[in-house]
Parts: sequence; structure tokens; C-alpha cells
Amino acid sequence: MTLLRKSTPGQWALTLLLLLLTVVTLYPFWHVLMYSLSDPRQAMGGGLFLLPKGLSLDSYGMMFRNSGIWNAYGNSLFRLLVGTFVNVFMTAMLAYPLSIRRFLWRTPLTLLIFFTMLFGGGMIPTYLLVNSLGLVDSLWALIVPQAISAWNFFIMKNYFQSVPPELEESANIDGATPMRTLVSIILPVSLPVLAAIALFYGVHHWNSYFDAVLYIHSQEREVLPVFLRSMLNFSAMESARGFEDTAAMANVSEESVKMATIVASMLPMLMIYPFLQKYYVKGVMIGSVKG
Amino acid sequence: MESSIRPRRGAIIRTLRKDKWLYLMALPGILFFLVFQYGPMYGIVIAFKHYNLYQGIFASDWAGWDNFQTLFGMSGFRRALRNTIVISLYQLVFVFPAPIILALLINEVRHTLFKKFVQTSVYLPHFVSWVVIGGILYAILSPSTGIVRDIAALFGHEGAVMNIMGDRETFRGLLIVSSIWKEAGFGTVLYLATIATIDPHLYEAATVDGARKWRQLWHVTLPGLRTTIVILLIFHVGSFLNAGLEQVYALYNPVVYEVSEILDTYLYKLAFEEAKYDLATASGLFKSTVGLALVLLTNAVAKKIDRDSGLI
Repeated sequence: MTLLRKSTPGQWALTLLLLLLTVVTLYPFWHVLMYSLSDPRQAMGGGLFLLPKGLSLDSYGMMFRNSGIWNAYGNSLFRLLVGTFVNVFMTAMLAYPLSIRRFLWRTPLTLLIFFTMLFGGGMIPTYLLVNSLGLVDSLWALIVPQAISAWNFFIMKNYFQSVPPELEESANIDGATPMRTLVSIILPVSLPVLAAIALFYGVHHWNSYFDAVLYIHSQEREVLPVFLRSMLNFSAMESARGFEDTAAMANVSEESVKMATIVASMLPMLMIYPFLQKYYVKGVMIGSVKG
Repeated sequence: MESSIRPRRGAIIRTLRKDKWLYLMALPGILFFLVFQYGPMYGIVIAFKHYNLYQGIFASDWAGWDNFQTLFGMSGFRRALRNTIVISLYQLVFVFPAPIILALLINEVRHTLFKKFVQTSVYLPHFVSWVVIGGILYAILSPSTGIVRDIAALFGHEGAVMNIMGDRETFRGLLIVSSIWKEAGFGTVLYLATIATIDPHLYEAATVDGARKWRQLWHVTLPGLRTTIVILLIFHVGSFLNAGLEQVYALYNPVVYEVSEILDTYLYKLAFEEAKYDLATASGLFKSTVGLALVLLTNAVAKKIDRDSGLI
């Protein structure tokens, strides 16, 4: 208990306050997890505070019987993996040339990109453009129009600039193509920033959903947060989707299935949480120091 | 003239040819910005046209400032603008300072393991979608199944729980509290990183001068954070008229539209429910112009006060 030894009253109060804030932050997640692990009938009865009531995996069983979630999960995973790959690839391909001093028009091009951080066409003109390219109702609409984030571009470009230019120059003299130099010399010494950028993009792809509301119209291409949103339907005007066949069960299990789906939606982010802690947080700092 | 340009052009072509792979490599990214960032900027002309989906942007008739006039005459738009301003002001006053205060608290923790534990915990909600947060809030606040029902029952108020998510009086408060809950923790990252760079000698000097904890906080820590605060404030003010689209769209429902319909949700409905693309574009242009003006204004003010701060 070194935590409390030789502590002033101020330290005591601080420790208590922060413990309280931690509980306030984590308890809601815990509650949802415990609800999802409870027997649906007993959970409905209420009084669930700390531990599951009648431990059971029924809600997960029912969740997986719904074909909608498999479909949405698949779409979200596609968006996450392909989207992040496209992002990192495109960002590095642009950031590297623009980090080299002898690149002509380096300053005007950088300004061109910087300006998009301050001003943009807005939701409707972007939609009309995506529509005219025939991307509406395709998962690519969630990937291609956001292929490079100006913000991440600047973080990467600044990091590349901190790599000693002699590395690039000697590779250039040896006749290596820029692509080769990037892949075999620059990227290996930029791993922390590469990881951070990949995680920035990945978290964005997994969590954001309004673009999917905007661009995706058919249910087969629905992503997970949109699926979850229509399932939660706060207005409660329609019954939970996809469970019509078990209408009798619905009342009892609806809440539990919602909770199980919430947990399932967070799963990938929780699985990579140690990496998020390590690289994402560090990446935010890199961005701030250089930006 | 011709002769003075020619050798220069030749030099440019020679440079380009020498590094052709380098320039080819940058091409897709530059094209991306031209098409997907500058392309929509061309679409802004829709705001000045009577846009007809079948005629397209080019053939539709010019409207001058008509769309803006119509827009400001619409009660729905004025309501959305009012809600956006009110919600954003609340956010500026309550949400923006929250991570600063939290960072100052966390910074005072001496036990490293406990500090790490607190940080790891409070960062978590940042990595969760607003839809999931909506579901979690529902699990807690729903009057029929949420945990508030159980808490009310403990105090003997069976069945008479207010619906915080579906009440005009409480919904904006819910937006603010949930924003703090989700982002204040992660928002401390930059502030804590900045505090770590403050020269320890400054604290020693302050202690020698007899400054206690509070005075050190005021005279050393906060001045050290000033630049970071100003930069984040510029970003915050620049997105003033955004008011959190992903959050509002995940949490609101018809009962609370009156107090929570913001510009972004309103222009989405204008376009996709009423097919008024021109009005929606005008509304979007109004939003981004104000955003740009606010960034430049805050930046100028920041520079006036302190020449080294500011973003641009």
C-alpha cells in the first residue's frame, strides 16, 4: 500500500476522486457486459449491479442466429482491413515524395493539401461527386473518398523529414527506385509513426458510421454501427430487426441481444487496446510536437 | 519572352525526368486531393443555383443569393442554427476545459502504477463508436430496463423514472455529459505530454520562492500549457458549427428534435428527405465559411495576444 503511505490529505482526496472517475468511466461498460452474460429472463427483472444474474450465453447464441450481424460484421471488417491498407499506402506514397527537399512544387502542393483542412465542399457536393462516380451503395464509398486524411499526411510527412536525408540520397545514387527506398529504408525506421497512423485510420473505419448512413442504402452492405443503431432504435417505433421469427422470445431477449451486440461491436477495439495504448497515444504526441 | 522561358522549361523537364518515379509516386495522392477535396468545392456552385437533379449542376438556372434568403426564412433552419450555437457554446464552456482539469489532476498523482491505471481506464471510451455509447446510455438510462430504474427503486420510487434520453429538458445536458465522459480522458494525452516537457527547474525555483501547490499550478503549469490550449482552442472553435454530428445522430429521437436538430442533421434531411439539394448545399457552405472565418479570427486574436502562439 505504498499508494497511501506518507500521503497528505490532499493526496488522499485526489486518489479517491480519480478512483471515482475511473469507476464512472468503466462501470457502464461492465454493466453492459454483465447484462449480456446474464440469463435474459432474469436480467429483465432488474437489480443487476455487479455480477450477471444466472450466468448464460443465451444472448450471444441468439445474436449469432441473426444473419444480419454476420453480414454487418463482415462488411465492417472489410472496411477496416481494406480501408486501412488503402489509407496507409496512399498516405505514405504521397508523404514520402513531398518530404524530399528537391521535389519541385513541394510548397504549393503542401499548401494545397493544408487548405483542405480549413475549408471543404461539404456533405452534399461530396455526395453528388461520389454518386456521379457510381460509388453510392458500395463499400468503396467508405474507403476511396477518404483515402488520405490531410492531418495524417502531415504527421507522416513531418516524420519522414526527420529521417536523415543521407539515407535517401545514397539509395538514390545506388539507383534504387523511390518505391524501393520507401519500403526498404524509410518505412523500417518509421515503424512507430506507421503503426500510429494505421491505428488512427483503423479506429476511424471501425467506429464512424455517418458516412455509411449517407452512402450505403441496401441492407447487404450495411456496416456494424448502422446495424446496431437500427437495432437499438431509441424511438422504439419498430420492433428489433431480424428477430421477427422469434416474436414470442423477442420481448424477453431483445434487451439481452442488444447488450450482446454492443459487446460484439467493441470487441476488435478491445482486442487491440494494448496497441492503442502504446502506439495510438504516442502517435498523438508525435503529431503534436511536429505539427 | 519565349527564349527566356525555354531553358527554364527544359531544366524543369530534365529534373522531372531524372526523378520521374518520385513524381509518379506522388501523382495518385495529388489526384485524390484534386478529385475528392477540390472536386466538391466546384459543387459549391449548387448553392447559387436552382438545382435540378436531372439537369445537373451546369444546366441548372442561376439563383444568386436566393437560396440563402429562403434558408434564413425557414423556421427549420433557424431552429437548427439556434440549437447548433447553443450546444456548441455549452461544449466550449463545459467540454473544452474538462481534459485540462483532468490532466492537472492526473499529473498530481505520484504513484506511477496508479497513474497508469487511471490513464488506461479513462482513454477507453474514446475508442468506442457513438452508436455503442448510445446503446450503453440506453442500458443505463432507459426508464423501463435501465439501471436508473433499479436505483430509483432503491430509493422507493418504483416505476416513476424520467426518460433522460427522451426529454427536451435534459437532452442537451445528456449531450454535454456524454461528450465529457467519452472524450475528456483521451483529451488529456496532449496536455499531459506538454506538462512533461515543462522544465523541472521552474518548479524548484517556484518552491524556493515559497510558492505552494496552487501557486505553482497557476504560475508554472498553466503557462506551460498555454500554447497547447490555444492551438486546441482554435481547432475547437473552427468546428463550432459542427456540434457533433455522429453523436447527435446516434442519440437523438423525434421527441427531442426541437432542442437537438443541428445544422448537419438538418441539411442531411433537407437533401435526402426533401430533395432540396441546393438549399442543403447553401446551408453547408454557410457552415464551412463560418468555420473558416472562426479559425482565422481565433488565430489572429491568439497571435495578437502572444506572437508565438497560433496555428498559421
